[in-house]
Amino acid sequence: MDLTYTEDQQMLRDTVRRLLAERHDFPTRQAAVTSGDGRAPGLWATFAEQGWLALPFSEENGGFGSDEVDLSILMEEMGRALVVEPYFGAVVLAGGLVERLGNPAQRAALLEPLIEGRHLLAFADVAEAGAEVSATKSEGGFTLSGRKQLVLGGAAADVFLVSASMPGGGMGIFAVPRGTEGLKASAYMLADGSRAARLELDGLSVAQSDLLGANEDAMTTIDAVRDRAVACLCSDAVGAMEAALDATVAYTSERQQFGRPLSEFQALRHRMAEMAVKCQEARASALLATVSINAEPSARIRGVSGAKAKIGRNARSVAQEAIQLHGAMGFTEEMATGAWFKRLFVFEQLMGTTAQHLARYGAEITRPEVLSQSLLQAPAEG
Amino acid sequence: MDLTLTPAEAAFRTEIRQFLDSELTADVRRASRLNTSFLAEPEIGLAWQSKVNQRGWVAPSWPEEFGGPGWSLAQRYIFDQECEMADEPHFRGASIKMIAPVLMRYGTPEQQDHYLPRILSGEHFWSQGYSEPGSGSDLASLKCKAVREGDEYVINGSKIWSTLAHRSTHMFALVRTNSEGRKQQGITFILIDLSLPGIEIAPITSICGTHEFNQVFFDNVRVPVAERIGEEGQGWEIAKYLLEFERGGSFAGGLLRAMHCRLLRIASRPATDGTRPIDDPLIAARFAEIATDIDANDMLELSSMSKVQSGGNPGPVPSSTMKIERSRIRQSITELTVTVLGPAALEWEPQRPLYDLPETSEAEEDIRAAAAIYFNTRSQSIFGGTNEIQLEIIARALFS
Repeated sequence: MDLTYTEDQQMLRDTVRRLLAERHDFPTRQAAVTSGDGRAPGLWATFAEQGWLALPFSEENGGFGSDEVDLSILMEEMGRALVVEPYFGAVVLAGGLVERLGNPAQRAALLEPLIEGRHLLAFADVAEAGAEVSATKSEGGFTLSGRKQLVLGGAAADVFLVSASMPGGGMGIFAVPRGTEGLKASAYMLADGSRAARLELDGLSVAQSDLLGANEDAMTTIDAVRDRAVACLCSDAVGAMEAALDATVAYTSERQQFGRPLSEFQALRHRMAEMAVKCQEARASALLATVSINAEPSARIRGVSGAKAKIGRNARSVAQEAIQLHGAMGFTEEMATGAWFKRLFVFEQLMGTTAQHLARYGAEITRPEVLSQSLLQAPAEG
Repeated sequence: MDLTLTPAEAAFRTEIRQFLDSELTADVRRASRLNTSFLAEPEIGLAWQSKVNQRGWVAPSWPEEFGGPGWSLAQRYIFDQECEMADEPHFRGASIKMIAPVLMRYGTPEQQDHYLPRILSGEHFWSQGYSEPGSGSDLASLKCKAVREGDEYVINGSKIWSTLAHRSTHMFALVRTNSEGRKQQGITFILIDLSLPGIEIAPITSICGTHEFNQVFFDNVRVPVAERIGEEGQGWEIAKYLLEFERGGSFAGGLLRAMHCRLLRIASRPATDGTRPIDDPLIAARFAEIATDIDANDMLELSSMSKVQSGGNPGPVPSSTMKIERSRIRQSITELTVTVLGPAALEWEPQRPLYDLPETSEAEEDIRAAAAIYFNTRSQSIFGGTNEIQLEIIARALFS
C-alpha cells in the first residue's frame, strides 16, 4: 500500500501548475472562452510540446506510458486553472477509446496526429437516452442514422468516434471524419464555457474498416474507458474545489466589513473550515477513483462511481459556499469564483449524474460481501 | 500508488482473522452489538483485554520496548479494521491510548516501569480528569487546585465527564498549581490513585440510559509529588500532546463499516408485506451516501498513514477532518437505523447492560438497542474536542 506522490509526480504537478498560471491566467482564459472557437491561442501547441497530449498513452502507441496518477495530477491542475481546451474529450475519452479498442492501423492513424497536436478526436457517447445512432448493414460497410446530443470537445473535433447499436446487437464505434457526407455537426457552448457538439447522422456511409477493432461488442471496453474518464473528471473537480476554497480564504482575509476582515468572524471561518473538510474528502475520493481504474469491474465501479457521487455532493456545497462567502462579487463574471462554480455544476451532469453514480455505487455496495470489504486489496495469487 | 497489501501484510491479516474467529466468542460479540456506550462494559472489556494480552496485541501502537508488538502503521491499521469488523469489545480507551503515550514521552523511568505493565495487564484502569463543571471546551479555564505541601500536593475541586471513573483504579488529571500569569501556564499534570481518601465519585446517567460518565470530587486529597508527570506548570503542553492521541486514536473505518453492515442487515429484512426498507429509493440513496462517506474517510486515513510512513506529516487538517466526519458518519448510520425501524424503535428498555437480558432473536435485539445507540452517538461530535473546536483548528490552518 502506497498513496504518496513520487518526486517525479510532485515535479509534474509543479510544472503543470506553474505553466498554466503563466500561460492561462484568468483574464486569458476568459478571453478564450468568449472568443469564437473557445480556444486559447497557442495553448494546445504548448500541451503538445510539454508532452501532455502523449501522457496517458502507452509507449507502443507513441505515448509516455504514464500511470493513472500522473493523469490525475494533470487533470487536477486543469480543473484548478479552468482549462476549457478539449483535453478531456479528445485525449482522455476519445483517445483512450482508440487506444483500447482500435487495431494497430487505427491506433496509428488516429493517435499519432492527436499526440502531435495536429488533429482532435471526440467521442459521441452511448449513454444518452433519445440520442442514439443505429448501424445497418450496407454494401461494403454500414449506414449510420440517428443523432448525438452531447459530444464533448466536439466543436473542434476532426474525427468523431460515433457509438452505434449494431445490426446483430451490441455496440460498435465508428471513426467518422468531419465533413463526411450525411454528418451534420453543430457546435455549442456548455455552461462552463467549454465547447461541445450535436451530431445528426442521416444515412451516413462508413466502411467496415471504420469500425474500431473487430466486430465484437465494444460495451465492456466503453464502460472501462468511461470509468477511467470519470476518475479523471473527479480529479478535475478536486482542482476546481480547492481553487475555489483558496480564493475564498484569500478574499475573506482581504475584505473588510464592520472594521475587520471577514475571516475573523467565526461563523464565516467555520463555513470555510467545512469547505476544507469537503475538499479533503473529495481529494481522498478522487484518489480512490484513480487507484481503482484498473481494478476488476466491481471494485472499479465502487471506487469510481462512489467518488463521482461523493465529490458531486461535496462539490456542489463547496461551489455554492464560495459564491456566498464572496458576496455579490462572487456573482460577477469578473471573479473566477463563478467559473469554478459553473465548472463544478457541469462536472455533476457529465458522464453520469451524481444521482446515477450513487445508484450504480449503491447497487454494488448493498451486496453484503462487497460492503464488508475494506479498501485494501489482497495481492494477486502466485 | 496502490491499495494492495504486501504478501506479508495479507498473511498478517489472515493471522488476525484466525485469532478473532477462534477467540472472540459469540457472547462477547453479542455484548459488543448490544453495547449502547462508547466503550465496552469493563467486565467484558477487561476479560477480552486479558485474552489479547496473552497474544501480545493489547497495545498495537506502543513501541516494543514498552510492550507493544512492534507493528508497522499498516499492520496496526489492518489489526484495528479486523477487530472492529469482528465486533471486538472496545476497551482501548484512556489507559492504552491516552495516558500510556504520555507516560512514554513525559514520565520518569520509575513511572513507566510501574504503570505501563499494569496498563497492559488491565490491573490498572484509567479515567480522564480534564474537564470541569463550567470549563467545557475552554479547558485552560480549569480551577481544580493542587497546593504543594512538602512531598505532597493537596487537591481540592472537581472533575467531570470522567468516563468509567467509577470502575477505574486511577485518574490522570490537570490541576491548577498557579493562578498567576497566562491561565495555561499554571496547569500541572498529575496521576491520582482513586482509592485515596477524600475522593467521591458521583454518577452521571446519559440520555442513552447508561452510567458511563461521572463527576469526581476532591476534598483535601493528598497525592505524592512523585505522581506528577513532567514539571510543575508543564501540564498544558502535556495535555495538548494527549489530545492528539484522543483525536487521532479514535476508532478507524472498520467500526464504521461494521455499523454500516449491521444497518444493511436491518434494512434488508422484509416487512410483513414483503417489502424491504433498503428497496425504498430514499433509504437506498441515503445508505449509499453514507457508504461513500466511509470510503472517503478510510481513504483519507490511508493517505495520511502513507504520508507518515514515508516520513511526512499529514498536518492538522486531515486529522480534524477525520474526527469531524467520523462523528457525523456514526451519527448518520444510527440515525438511518432508527429511521428504518420507525415506531418499532420506540419501546425503551431501561436495563443496563443490555446483554444481561435474556437472549432473543438478533432482529429483536437490534430493535431493542437501536434508539439508545442513536442517542449515544450524539456524544461523538462533543467529546475529544467538539466539532466546533475541530473546525477552528482547520480554520486556523487555513488562515495561517
